[in-house]
Amino acid sequence: MGYLEEMAKYQKTEKQKSFSADFLEGQQIEDYEFWDEIEIGKETVVPFKFEVKAEDMMAYAEGVPDANPVFYDEEYARKCGYDGLVAHPLFISQVLFFLLQKGHGSWIRTPGARNPGQIFEWHDPIRVGDILTLKNKGYDKWIKKGKYYLRYLSELYDQDGKLKVRGYITMILPKSKADVLRYVKGERALEA
Amino acid sequence: MAKKLTFESVNCGDVLPEVRQHISQEVIWEHAVASLDYNPVHTDPEWCRTAQVFGLPVPVMHGNQTMSLMAKVVTNWAYPVGGKLKRMEVKLIKPVQVGSTCTYGAVVAEKHPIGKGENFVVLDLWAMNQDGEKVAVGTAEITLP
Repeated sequence: MGYLEEMAKYQKTEKQKSFSADFLEGQQIEDYEFWDEIEIGKETVVPFKFEVKAEDMMAYAEGVPDANPVFYDEEYARKCGYDGLVAHPLFISQVLFFLLQKGHGSWIRTPGARNPGQIFEWHDPIRVGDILTLKNKGYDKWIKKGKYYLRYLSELYDQDGKLKVRGYITMILPKSKADVLRYVKGERALEA
Repeated sequence: MAKKLTFESVNCGDVLPEVRQHISQEVIWEHAVASLDYNPVHTDPEWCRTAQVFGLPVPVMHGNQTMSLMAKVVTNWAYPVGGKLKRMEVKLIKPVQVGSTCTYGAVVAEKHPIGKGENFVVLDLWAMNQDGEKVAVGTAEITLP
């Protein structure tokens, strides 16, 4: 059984079942944006939205794994002082990957990408029923010790335009499409 | 009976209960599905054997899963009393290979008595592998009732 089939066993939600999971698939690479193409200062609103369902929030907590009942039991969460089911703080990972499947910001999917650390600010709780919109802006890129860094701002807003989460995200990326294609073939391309 | 956690009850230097997690390939796969981050550096052992993105021939766990488990230390402690995570900053120092067992912890570093509903503490966070090497460090700001 291949690794994609192994992972399919864990898919529970509608979004998980419909998501294109093969990050090495050729057509997807054509739709990615690469480090050497990223325009600093360019801001985009991703043309897709994420409608938050309880199953999405619970599936994320399960995958941490984190069994805290505030993430699964609405009644318990209310007793703890919340106004409904609570999203795990890093639930935003699921939202970002769902929304960034192609175009500006899709660099998070590129084979060979590395995560050196992140900053997240939570401004307002994500709630079941929220319809989230993502705004992305690259604001710095640099080369250090042969590695290609990108820092960008990701902001999630709800259906009323209220800021929910802001991320100052740093990534180390392959430099170009040619370098990503080397990774796709499974070639070691650390210098890329 | 344990004293209820409040901003007043917390002191700088308080140590939070640790979280421990074995990182099997199944744990990584389940996180990949949960986060929708199917990058082969985490999910495809065959690809990792040759691509070696981190110079390692095996999959590594997601950086955001490390962050999630660091956050779990905070949410285990403060969410049962209605705490709210405001900000988290994490530096990922060392890749975590499949098969590792990591421990995640935190200590109260600062108290900010801003006012009712706004009072928050700053926690120093860490994650360590089974060899005692730090794999990540960070800070978290969390409001407490």
